[in-house]
Amino acid sequence: MKLIPTALAILLAGSFSAFAHDVPAEIAKAPPAGAFKAVSSLVKLPDFLPGMGQLFVDPASLPAGPFLAYDHDGKLVSTIYMLPVKDLNPDKSFNDLAAPGGNVDHVDVYYNAGHPGVEEPHVHVVLWHVSAADEALVAK
Amino acid sequence: MILTRRRVMKVGGGFLAALVTRPAFVWADDIIEVVMQGKADGSHVWYDPVGIHVKPGQTIRWTNRDPGNSHTVTAYHPEIFDRPRRIPAAAKPWDSDYLLPNESFSVTLTVEGVYDYYCVPHEHAGMVGRIVVGNPSSNETAGAADADLTPLPEVALNGFPSVDEIVAKGIVHSV
Repeated sequence: MKLIPTALAILLAGSFSAFAHDVPAEIAKAPPAGAFKAVSSLVKLPDFLPGMGQLFVDPASLPAGPFLAYDHDGKLVSTIYMLPVKDLNPDKSFNDLAAPGGNVDHVDVYYNAGHPGVEEPHVHVVLWHVSAADEALVAK
Repeated sequence: MILTRRRVMKVGGGFLAALVTRPAFVWADDIIEVVMQGKADGSHVWYDPVGIHVKPGQTIRWTNRDPGNSHTVTAYHPEIFDRPRRIPAAAKPWDSDYLLPNESFSVTLTVEGVYDYYCVPHEHAGMVGRIVVGNPSSNETAGAADADLTPLPEVALNGFPSVDEIVAKGIVHSV
């Protein structure tokens, strides 16, 4: 019977390690590797967007993203999806969007009127990888 | 004739505040200032003022005061993105291209009439504006309907102050 708690402990440890999804090294710091490009190099937008940070995206994934957002020190703070309002209808869906950023602390969903790159009203779905208090890292 | 000029302004906060709060006196010889603004989360964007009445030959200067977004000042005209004409037939259209925060763009309007313009990435969010130059004999703004031109979305059509309101007030602020 002594084996049961031990086995349970091993099982739980394994489960927690599976949940603990660390940020892959290639995207943990700006600039991310691979096909990601700075949004400001693709469209005319400020390099650092107050409230979001410095954004990178794989152009092939537009408009939905994911957009990877970094703070002033180049640390990944959030993964953002931008979903056009007109595409949120019975005939369209967004499936299997990549989510490379690791653990999610909390999620924000809000309306955005548009900006270069996604030039229509859309919804931002923000997976924050930092605490709500640490959103201040990208506030300005 | 329309004269355009792009200027990049790097100004301090004090001057910026003075500029934004400056009272509009549209019949003066001064340059008329219009700011492009937006909420911090990008959920709402606008020109302020949204309607102005000026005399022929006055200059209007738009400045992007939205720190997290880019904006344009683009006349409705078939020569620019195949849009319906909503400026006087004798006037030349303009397009500022994207203005980053604190960048400015100016236009001098010499032909009397009504001029409607929009922000390219925000037209579908209702970011439009209207200028009345002089005392146009009618409220006519639009050219003939053309199926090859992209019509205005309803939200944009609903965003223009009436010509009568602009002429009566001189200046119409965004609410």
